[in-house]
Amino acid sequence: MPAKKRTVRIGNWYKSDDEKVHFVRKRKAPRPAKLRKIVPGQVLILLAGRFQGKRVVFLKQLKSGLLLVTGPFKINGVPLKRVNSAYVIPTSTKVDVNGVNAGQVDDDYFKRTQAQRRKNEQGFWAKRGELTPEQQTAEKTRLEGKRKTQKSIDDALIAAVKKTALLKQYLGARFSIGKTTRPHELVF
Amino acid sequence: MVLGKFVEVGRVVKINYGPQEGKLATIVEILNDKRVLIDGPTTGVQRQVIPIRRLTLTKFNLKGATRGARTGVITKAIKKSDPFAQYAQTVAAKKVAKKALRAKLNDFDRFRVMILRKRRSALLSTQLKSLKKNTGGKAQAQAKGGNKKK
Repeated sequence: MPAKKRTVRIGNWYKSDDEKVHFVRKRKAPRPAKLRKIVPGQVLILLAGRFQGKRVVFLKQLKSGLLLVTGPFKINGVPLKRVNSAYVIPTSTKVDVNGVNAGQVDDDYFKRTQAQRRKNEQGFWAKRGELTPEQQTAEKTRLEGKRKTQKSIDDALIAAVKKTALLKQYLGARFSIGKTTRPHELVF
Repeated sequence: MVLGKFVEVGRVVKINYGPQEGKLATIVEILNDKRVLIDGPTTGVQRQVIPIRRLTLTKFNLKGATRGARTGVITKAIKKSDPFAQYAQTVAAKKVAKKALRAKLNDFDRFRVMILRKRRSALLSTQLKSLKKNTGGKAQAQAKGGNKKK
């Protein structure tokens, strides 16, 4: 008799009937994350990740609780990005963001598309990773749209940044600690 | 060594220990060889008895302070001739002020200070080079570029 082709993955744990569930989350919807005293337009120092030490401008808090920041991209290479507020030092420097409209950017903006997820497929699934022509054009337009949003937000920001002397250079520089700096005594 | 600063009525002192550390006051009365009565109505020091050990004598005197004078009299004397303002001109006082200012700098200020110091040092080195050249030192034609940054 030919072996049945397995379509469902076999696990190694089967729940019993009398198993007690110890933690039942009563609250179904996530609570909106509380924001420290961080104000739109404030310069933040990123503490982790690829852009650690970079000084970026805070735009708004997204529904997921993450902070939306931007370099601006032309100044320090940081694009529109979501950042966890725990990995951030807020400084007391503020940029005027009155002319900046980040309204259309939300968590969905950062969601990975099917094409993105499949992009690096290799071996057996390589065919799945190849994009059809429609998918390719879709990707192109998606990226174009992203560039446009980035540009529209950044242009307004850069205009505001240019008003203060040395602010552009400040945002372009990374924050670092030397041998004699005492972080606990620094005023940000 | 000539003894210059005396513990006397009117001597301006700096408190260097205790909750009032760093503040200035005037000696109003000498109680014994170890304690004095001080008062600093304009510097935020309450009239109090304090051991001399906690004080540093400055070279300034408050003119018009009489022994056991009340706070009002002291205030009037300070209005006439303010030794505390004179003390603020001294090098020691300026150093303290500078240190306090540096502690307050925020991240952007620290960055600006760094850039300005670099500019200043670039200017100085241009001057130095041109001076060396003029006095027949090394014939360096290139002066270091001044500040190219905005």
